[in-house]
Amino acid sequence: MSTQIKQQDSAILRVHQVSKAFPGVQALTDVDFAVRQGEIHGLVGKNGAGKSTLVRVIMGIYAPDSGMLEIGGREHHALTSQDALRAGIAYVPQHIAMMAPLTVAENILAGDMPKGPLGLISWSKVYSEAEERLARLGLELDVRQRVEGLSVAEQTMLAIAKALFGQARLIILDEPTASLPRADIDRLFGFIRTLQNAGSSFVYISHHLEEVFEICDRVTIMRDGRVVGTFDVADIDMPALTHHIVGADISEYERTSALTEEPVLKVESLTRRGHFEDITFSIRKGEIVGLSGLQGCGADTLVKSLYGLERWGLGEVYVDGKYYVARSPRHALDQGLAYLPQDRTRWGMVGVRPVRENVTYTILDQLTQTILNLVDRRSESAQVGEYIDKLEIVTPGQEQMTRLLSGGNQQKVVFAKLAATRPSVLLLHEPTMGVDVRAKQDIYRIIDELSRQGVAILIVSSEVRELIGVCDRILVMYEGRIIQEYKQGQPETTPENILLTIEGGQRGTH
Amino acid sequence: MGLTRSAFAVNSDWIQFVLSRFIWFIIGPVFVFFAMSAEGFLTGTNMINLLLHASVLGLMVIGQAICLISGNFDLSAEGTVSLLAMLAAWMMVPEQAWSGGGGWEVHPLIVIPVILLLGAGIGLFNGFMITQLGMNNFIVTLAMQLVLRGLALMLNKGNYISGTPDLFNWLGEGRISQTHAFIVIGVLAAIGLHLYYRNSRFGQRVFARGPVGIALAYIGGGVFAFGVVWALLGWIGDIPVQIIFTGLAFVGFHYYLTNAKFGRQLYAVGGNQEAARASGFSPKRTITTAYVISGVLAAIAAWMLLGRIGEATDKTGVNLTLETVAASVIGGVALSGGYGSILGALSGVMLLSIVDNGLNLMQVNPFWVNGIRGTIILAAIFIEAQKFRFKPRTTQSRDPA
Amino acid sequence: MRRGILRTIVFALLDNLIWVLVLIALITFSLLSDRFAEPRNLVGIIPRVAAVGMLVMGQSFTMLTGHFDLSSESNIGLTAMVGGLLMAEEIFGGLGTMYPPGVAMFLMLLVGAGVGVLNGLMVTRLKMNNLVVTIAMLITLRGLIYIISPGSSASIFPEAFNWLGNGTLFTFTYQGDTINFPVSIAFVLLCFAAAHIVTRYTQFGRNMYAVGSNREAAEAAGIRSDNVVLWVYIISGLCAAIGGILIAGRMDSVTPRTGAGWIFQVQAAAIIGGVSLMGGRGSMIGALGGVLLWGILDTGLSIMRADPFTIEVFRGGLLLFAMLLDAIKVRYLNRVAVRESLAKTTIGLQDKTSYA
Repeated sequence: MSTQIKQQDSAILRVHQVSKAFPGVQALTDVDFAVRQGEIHGLVGKNGAGKSTLVRVIMGIYAPDSGMLEIGGREHHALTSQDALRAGIAYVPQHIAMMAPLTVAENILAGDMPKGPLGLISWSKVYSEAEERLARLGLELDVRQRVEGLSVAEQTMLAIAKALFGQARLIILDEPTASLPRADIDRLFGFIRTLQNAGSSFVYISHHLEEVFEICDRVTIMRDGRVVGTFDVADIDMPALTHHIVGADISEYERTSALTEEPVLKVESLTRRGHFEDITFSIRKGEIVGLSGLQGCGADTLVKSLYGLERWGLGEVYVDGKYYVARSPRHALDQGLAYLPQDRTRWGMVGVRPVRENVTYTILDQLTQTILNLVDRRSESAQVGEYIDKLEIVTPGQEQMTRLLSGGNQQKVVFAKLAATRPSVLLLHEPTMGVDVRAKQDIYRIIDELSRQGVAILIVSSEVRELIGVCDRILVMYEGRIIQEYKQGQPETTPENILLTIEGGQRGTH
Repeated sequence: MGLTRSAFAVNSDWIQFVLSRFIWFIIGPVFVFFAMSAEGFLTGTNMINLLLHASVLGLMVIGQAICLISGNFDLSAEGTVSLLAMLAAWMMVPEQAWSGGGGWEVHPLIVIPVILLLGAGIGLFNGFMITQLGMNNFIVTLAMQLVLRGLALMLNKGNYISGTPDLFNWLGEGRISQTHAFIVIGVLAAIGLHLYYRNSRFGQRVFARGPVGIALAYIGGGVFAFGVVWALLGWIGDIPVQIIFTGLAFVGFHYYLTNAKFGRQLYAVGGNQEAARASGFSPKRTITTAYVISGVLAAIAAWMLLGRIGEATDKTGVNLTLETVAASVIGGVALSGGYGSILGALSGVMLLSIVDNGLNLMQVNPFWVNGIRGTIILAAIFIEAQKFRFKPRTTQSRDPA
Repeated sequence: MRRGILRTIVFALLDNLIWVLVLIALITFSLLSDRFAEPRNLVGIIPRVAAVGMLVMGQSFTMLTGHFDLSSESNIGLTAMVGGLLMAEEIFGGLGTMYPPGVAMFLMLLVGAGVGVLNGLMVTRLKMNNLVVTIAMLITLRGLIYIISPGSSASIFPEAFNWLGNGTLFTFTYQGDTINFPVSIAFVLLCFAAAHIVTRYTQFGRNMYAVGSNREAAEAAGIRSDNVVLWVYIISGLCAAIGGILIAGRMDSVTPRTGAGWIFQVQAAAIIGGVSLMGGRGSMIGALGGVLLWGILDTGLSIMRADPFTIEVFRGGLLLFAMLLDAIKVRYLNRVAVRESLAKTTIGLQDKTSYA
């Protein structure tokens, strides 16, 4: 696991007491972070812990408010992206920017391709040069193939290779294994290890804690914008790690549940090839059920298929006792389901349209009269005004373009749109993602209020603490199946256990 | 990064107001300029001519604007006009030596619904290819343009057909006497006023004042409206039907798009197709409807044009298609979809028509007009680019993760 | 295994769709009319569409970077008119300046490039939308043409000038007939060959593809995308100027309407030749194929005494057909990709639904 060879304490990157604040949120506080030459350094923490911000500071995209960076021995107080690149730091994002229609060789050598005697590009040289470079790294790819034909794993490896060709000495990998099959992960790890032996250093950001143990030498845990600790992987175990990630067990939110007996949503043996299998659960009136799992566990597709944005193959669903089929979102809405999408910019709101319109998209039929389907403006503004008040949406007015609102308020607008349909079942997908702390509290309040009114709520989220605070029950999915259920108030329902189950597919024993 | 949210909002609000109404700030001075420099510009006859020119273009612009708002181009509308005009003439005009039709001599009252249906059909076809087959809207409508224009010319082997029956020509040639026009416009203005009061904030404030307020509002508004109409008609004289028609179309469509369910769907689909779908709309249906509307409007434009000119010839109208896009852009319709208004597009039509008319009267070399037109469009786009630059971008994701 | 071979064949066909279409067109017309296959008519294919071909080439340059130049039809008209005015005698509509062909051609190229520079600057420096900008230029330039042309046409140019558009390279006999082999064929082929070399074998050409496929990735690789785009617009302008030389030479006359309405065909030919609207995809060879197809349609249909309008219809229909095939191909590729990814997992094996 850890290579003992390079015991130099020479850090290739040192982050020293860096802090960074944005309007309304303190993203980083006094962060100390160091990567040694030749190590693979894991960086873990929940969403919102500060990992991306830290990376952006390192890459020169953000300037720190205080503190400084030391790269390869040189100090920097104000780093630009060019500086970072020149200093040999490269970032491989989750969604890699490649020139898809072009060949692997061309992607590697873009901008400066080998020429022949006449000054014209010699393609044989291009291919052989590309192959050679890849071989130096021990990577085997068909250089003549178009990048769009490569698998995701291969594209990741190619991106890493590209970074190295750019003289990168430190490569930051962001969730490189999200939804990769095991075989590809092995291949990727093999490649990374080879590079490490040749002297490259890595920062490995991931939610897959098992992998962190597998590939990293050391690991740094972040929480709420601070570094909780840096440990040798050999000196820490999974439970301790998850404990650090999750923090002290203070639930920020107290839930008093109001349940009745009748199941509003009944899902039986739902199966979809390649995504989920044999999903069975039910939600009662006023109950809030959480659903969590790793990326690629099937929860996303499951909840979308309930709403009609995806399909399921086998199994049945009943809503309010009636057989339920959703061929389209309209269909789902008509039968009493509503869905808050994960990516609200893409799926949730029409950014260029005013708040008023965004709220009433789902209830236009109620607001229209006459044959021409004219909207009753007065009643519309009245209703929208009500929702703005009830949900405390901060906006200069109903006519404000929705994309100009803050993330939290945008989310509330989408909530309003869904609540307006008076659904029986509400499906929430990462409801507080990209939302500031105060708006988060507001949203929990809204969710609670809705459940009091009898709405059955399903929350898909990766924020385990949030789920514990809000839900009556939490279901954990792993590789397409529901493997565990945790009930509110039981001793084993702790963030650590749940996280362990999510990660490793086994029941926690804390 | 140091600006507080409210300060920023106030600043750009003001600028937003000017920029989005910008085009009207331009038309005013331009109008005045021509009124002063062009002999005969302000006469009633000239105004009518100007509006006549704008009528046909205007209908097509409505169709184009609707498609643009839904996020798609309709480059085929011109072809539809060509084909349907030629077809209608062919069906109605008897066989003659040089300018004859097919000799079917179909009655106009049958021909008109037929071409309207065909216009809708073409729109349906466009919509089908774009939504069901997933083909690129730009190329599809471009290809249709070639096909339709070609069909139009094939129909009579390039010869022109003239001599359409009077009944048919009514839309193009007919004029409404002053009294009739007065009644029609008066009634419409009254309805418009009523609807406006019912739905606007100003109207709501008025209603809040109680029965006295309501009475005042209606009577005052009514007198005002009637007065304007009276003056207008006195100045202009008999109004050609097509001007009224297009005017009604603009107002009607604008109102419809702003206040009806379909309008909401249209803007939503154009603004963010996926979010629209997740909100329960059917983008496919909405987009296809937009194309159908464009097709029907093109058919009516064909009817109007044929009626006015009385003959169908081959058209060079590439510019016409592009002008409808240009007029929409000038009027604030965003090419990316989801933004803009029909009345805005009207301003684009008006500006281009005023410039056309004015320069003509000033006896400017008729072909300078194109040059100036193009420059205006360039300026409009330049300004539009700035508009979207100034608008605060989507708030930087304050995602602290 | 057999599925794999079949798939490879189908893909190869679809990738080179244009040549399949060219072949089909050649065969079809030869069958429909025995006069089509006569050398006299075959050599006439390219010259008919030589000028359009240059516009297609120019348009392909911009499209490969993901941009449009819709002003080229007016640009060709402008350069042609400029040349015509400078060379023709006054009685034939010219300015009477009687410039020698060489000078005239140089000035035409200058004008064309100038327009390209304008377009390029507006798109890259002023960040204006390229679609609308070039449309506006289309309208403006057309107006400019009318302004500078005093009469309805300018005609009768020096032989030397007409040589490119209308000259004969050599003659040969075939079955008793003497046939002229037009210069324009060689010229157009030469131009496309040069363009192909540029796009495939020069750094600049590859930069074009990079910018067209993913602008950010190109910038990250150190390519200055703004400069690349500026240059392709200049090239497009030059192509329009060359086209102007060809059309003016061929017709021995220019009118203010030269080039009007061409933009649709130019787009269509480029697209059907495989140059993608998205950018980063396509080749000059393919574009040449598109031009050839257009020429074959034109020649074939007019031999069959079809009127120009039927030709228009055919062209439009062909474009639609090509797009349909493309849509089918995309759908097929998706289906294959889905099937492959499903084969890799074991989740939900009981579900036999096809999720194509």
